[in-house]
Amino acid sequence: MVALSVTMHAQDKYYTKSGKITFYSKAPLEDIEATNKSVACVVDTKTGSLQFSVLIKGFEFENEEMQEHFNDDYMESNQFPKADFKGQIVNNSQINYSKPGTYTAQVKGQLTIHGITKEVQSTGTIIVAPAGVKAASSFVIQVADYNIQIPSLVKDKVAKTVKIVIDTKLDPLKG
Amino acid sequence: MKRILILIAIIILIAVGIYAYKVYTGKVPSLTEVASTAHISAANLIAAFEKDSAAANRHYLGKIITVSGMIKSVENKPSVVVLGNLGSLSSVRCTMDTAFVKEMASLNSGQPVNIKGHCTGYRADDLGLGADVVLNRCVLETGNPK
Repeated sequence: MVALSVTMHAQDKYYTKSGKITFYSKAPLEDIEATNKSVACVVDTKTGSLQFSVLIKGFEFENEEMQEHFNDDYMESNQFPKADFKGQIVNNSQINYSKPGTYTAQVKGQLTIHGITKEVQSTGTIIVAPAGVKAASSFVIQVADYNIQIPSLVKDKVAKTVKIVIDTKLDPLKG
Repeated sequence: MKRILILIAIIILIAVGIYAYKVYTGKVPSLTEVASTAHISAANLIAAFEKDSAAANRHYLGKIITVSGMIKSVENKPSVVVLGNLGSLSSVRCTMDTAFVKEMASLNSGQPVNIKGHCTGYRADDLGLGADVVLNRCVLETGNPK
């Protein structure tokens, strides 16, 4: 226990450049699932500030055709190559980053996808462990909120909502 | 004559069916089978994005490119090879194809390599972590690094 408390130095910032975001869209025409394993994330434990940055072309699909449609027709990733989130852990004072445990985080901030910025709120989990901090969350967005056009031919067959699942393991930011 | 027409119609239907099946089930190919459209050093690639990211996006975004450079570090879970100058915060981050995880065991910092990957874009230093050009589905290429 003494050794543990020695290794649990309070760090101000934690980060990763290899965070994982998976999205799921379930609909009669096709279920779509894609994962991005190069998500950048920084958490400032002092202020509760939380940021994510995701490159849209980094989402990997099982099917090549789906990946092309996603980039060219829906996300227009040549024009809008990035999505990001800038927000705050509202209940940051209730999370003890130097005491191992699982904490619930209330997160609020601005999510920018496809060039459109919206205010979002979600609940996530922060796991504090000797090896580092893990942050996870999942929430649902409306495709129409981000001006993502679904061709009228498949409008009734493609889901109007997308579930986004975030899973990151954060390391202390030195310096 | 009618029989021939029916036969032709059946052949066309089968061909369309096979094509549709291939499109629907077509997996994303391994990059070992795909030729790269450009070969550039890690330093020049980073410099191109830092100078004019819109122009560099037009050249490299979504393209399969080969990048040569010194290994800065090797990360696991997921497997990432980071290329660039040790003195600089900016890097080319190459997330490796899972089929190449074994080969990664022999890689060390300071070693020159050629890596072919799908350029997914540039992340400017918005988060205070250094700027990165990000490649995924990466494979190691043999041959002398430039």
